[in-house]
Amino acid sequence: MRKNSGDMEIAIEVPQPRLRAVPASPAPAPTPPLEASDAELLARVGERDREAFEILYGRYVRPVFSLALRRLGDRGHAEDAVQEAFAAIWRSASTYRPERGAAGGWLYTVARNAIVDRLRRNGPSADAELPELVSAEPGPERQAEDSFVSWRVHRALEELQPREREVIELAYWSGMSQSEVAEYLGVPLGTVKTRTRSGLAKLATVLEGESL
Amino acid sequence: MNHEPNFDDLVGAETGGAERERLRGAHELLVQAGPPPELTPRLQEAPSFGVARLQPRRRVVKRRALVLLAAALSVVAVFAAGYAVSNQRHGNGTAAIAPVAQLALKGTSFAPKARATLDVWKQQSGNWPMTLSVVGLPRLPQHTYYEVYLVRNGRPWGSCGSFRISGSSGGALTLRLNAPYALQPGDSWVVTRAAPGGEPGKTVLRPVSV
Repeated sequence: MRKNSGDMEIAIEVPQPRLRAVPASPAPAPTPPLEASDAELLARVGERDREAFEILYGRYVRPVFSLALRRLGDRGHAEDAVQEAFAAIWRSASTYRPERGAAGGWLYTVARNAIVDRLRRNGPSADAELPELVSAEPGPERQAEDSFVSWRVHRALEELQPREREVIELAYWSGMSQSEVAEYLGVPLGTVKTRTRSGLAKLATVLEGESL
Repeated sequence: MNHEPNFDDLVGAETGGAERERLRGAHELLVQAGPPPELTPRLQEAPSFGVARLQPRRRVVKRRALVLLAAALSVVAVFAAGYAVSNQRHGNGTAAIAPVAQLALKGTSFAPKARATLDVWKQQSGNWPMTLSVVGLPRLPQHTYYEVYLVRNGRPWGSCGSFRISGSSGGALTLRLNAPYALQPGDSWVVTRAAPGGEPGKTVLRPVSV
């Protein structure tokens, strides 16, 4: 509204579940660094550290949403599944044991289970009642592999600098040529090429170093 | 997008040997993975499942609640004032043309310098004509556009129209929109990025000063 008082923002967010009281900690933990590992963040989420949860959410919300969209095919159901997946992560983070496997793999399993639960609750889809036809769709194994590749790549994209990620996303999925990307961003073509190469190199490093 | 980028075009000839193959591996995985989905407004912030232990966070939650309350009250006040002014003028026979509500919006991180004003005009047979004046929004890639959403209870309620920014407009545009809904106190609007057949996309303009 048009007034001169200080700026205030209206957040676009889901209605908040009922809040429950939690005893105050005698010695609040410091804010987790943005570069904390997934395992470190999970450990802190297990202690009900909201800031750690938000960092983890930022890293994984797109991979989880992508996974949910692939399995459920409906954005509304996928949104619900994402909420349920992160609710499960919030509830069960304290059960994660680093010695049993990497945090990324644990998160993938929790997210996938939440999505499968949502799929079961939705009941048989209309497609399930169609007569059997030869389908050009990839089989379940291929679908699972594609889903896992998407999970890994979309998670790795979160590690890029915003300007590297921007040129990668535009170059691969906007339909623009690199010259058009340069014009769109208002930067020299050489800068776009440099950022594309550095983005690809960083992605390769992240994907090689991951231990899902 | 069906367009598949050419690795050699992207990387050029300067990088060779093992490093080139490493980049090719990342390239092939990117192509296989496809684009990550655009987050809906509902997913752009982490949900809350309980009160954090840290005292500062509790203050943040409380402050946000106050901000939301203040914003809601202000919208009520502006609508009430708008109705009063509009009715009074109409009653006096002056029939002055004035919006019943005005909303200022500012750009999110997508377009931090963007600004807009949304004027909501007197209802006409269940329609609320609106005028959006916007500056500073960038041109979008092909097949994507901006969409104005009515927001109710913190969630996108319904589309009020869409638009594009052309290269020649300098990011400035004034256009007529319509909210064909029964407006309620507390309603607000945002501008999002969108693509055909999609749900509300990333918010690019949101309400500001109260």
